[in-house]
Amino acid sequence: MRLAYIALFAFSLFASVTLQAQESPYFVTYDHHLEEPGNLEIETSSTVGVPRAGQHWFFAPYLELEYGVTGRWTSELYLEGQSTAGDSAIFTGWRIENRFRPLAREHWINPVLYLEYENINEASRIRKEIVGAAPELNESNAELRATRAHELETRLILSSTAHDWNISENFIVEKNLSENEGFEFGYALAVARPLATLASGKNCRFCRENFIAGVELYGGLGTTQGFGLHDTAHYAAPAISWQISDNTSLRFSPAIGLTHGSSPALLRLGYSYEIRGFSTKLARLFGAKP
Amino acid sequence: MLAQNSAYQPDPNWRVPQDAAMKPNPLARKPDAAAGGKKLFLRNCTECHGQDGSGLVKKHAADLQLPVVQNQSDGTLFWKITNGNPDRGMPSFSKLPEPQRWQLVLFIRKLKPEN
Repeated sequence: MRLAYIALFAFSLFASVTLQAQESPYFVTYDHHLEEPGNLEIETSSTVGVPRAGQHWFFAPYLELEYGVTGRWTSELYLEGQSTAGDSAIFTGWRIENRFRPLAREHWINPVLYLEYENINEASRIRKEIVGAAPELNESNAELRATRAHELETRLILSSTAHDWNISENFIVEKNLSENEGFEFGYALAVARPLATLASGKNCRFCRENFIAGVELYGGLGTTQGFGLHDTAHYAAPAISWQISDNTSLRFSPAIGLTHGSSPALLRLGYSYEIRGFSTKLARLFGAKP
Repeated sequence: MLAQNSAYQPDPNWRVPQDAAMKPNPLARKPDAAAGGKKLFLRNCTECHGQDGSGLVKKHAADLQLPVVQNQSDGTLFWKITNGNPDRGMPSFSKLPEPQRWQLVLFIRKLKPEN
């Protein structure tokens, strides 16, 4: 058990050692900005769940590899784990996500199409999306990990920039291909703004321009069997990102549960490192001429 | 890395709306803001345009020193930074706040060879 905790911690730490500019502070909501073509962003994040009475704390770290395939297509791979206090630490699965920008130019509202395949088990707790009805948190990891879930998640991402504020809306539909349980629905809304919009001439770590603050609101909207807000989980989450250096950034967001079906709080922390020109560097490694 | 893409020819399909091209740089009377523009340039642009802005041939990136670029209006450069030309490899930098994109335009003006 202790070994499992150490392994999870080491995984999280290793990922943080190996991990851009103006990184969005959002954890659940997506805006219309994609990864620059040829760049790779390595991010390690974790979600800590504060329990209700009778439940246990959980810690769910995940590693995210985000690659800009083209100027209008970004692809991501996720590896995720979970550890529950008084229970066990387990690997909960992987996800592949793709985001496409159908329109080439900036518009008042910028749509992005999102498609994700998840091969996870029911013990997954990273809470990258909140959909359907409120989750049950009382079963043990041993029971939950036995139930695999092959899921397809789609989102319509709408995002705007107005006076340096980003305003984003995500409409989520998820289908568990392993169960005959219909479709699950969810939403995520967010606004954010840099604390300063003019860049100073000096290199500074704590300048206000390096911080973006915002707030997210996300939750489930039931399923095809019962669409609506009844017995669903919803969260309000202030969020802040700090660009530590040219290619590293840190994000933090404490989410407050708004309904009885929510956890009282989720604490989210993310650290990312961007490798610029990753594809060129990789090609050079294999002998391509500069 | 092979720099100086002096054979650069602008994409004729990358057209800037007239009203956007006419926009003046609101920071034109604040030349000090160009220092911040340099910092932003080094962070966001050198990967393709090189530190001196002369453009990497391999990346098909514009040589920003060329008259064909420098003769474009501030509003045109601002629009191109904002929207990008994703099908030709130039990403959109709309994630940068508007004043920072104007700072980049200020700095790009300093890339003229005589400077």
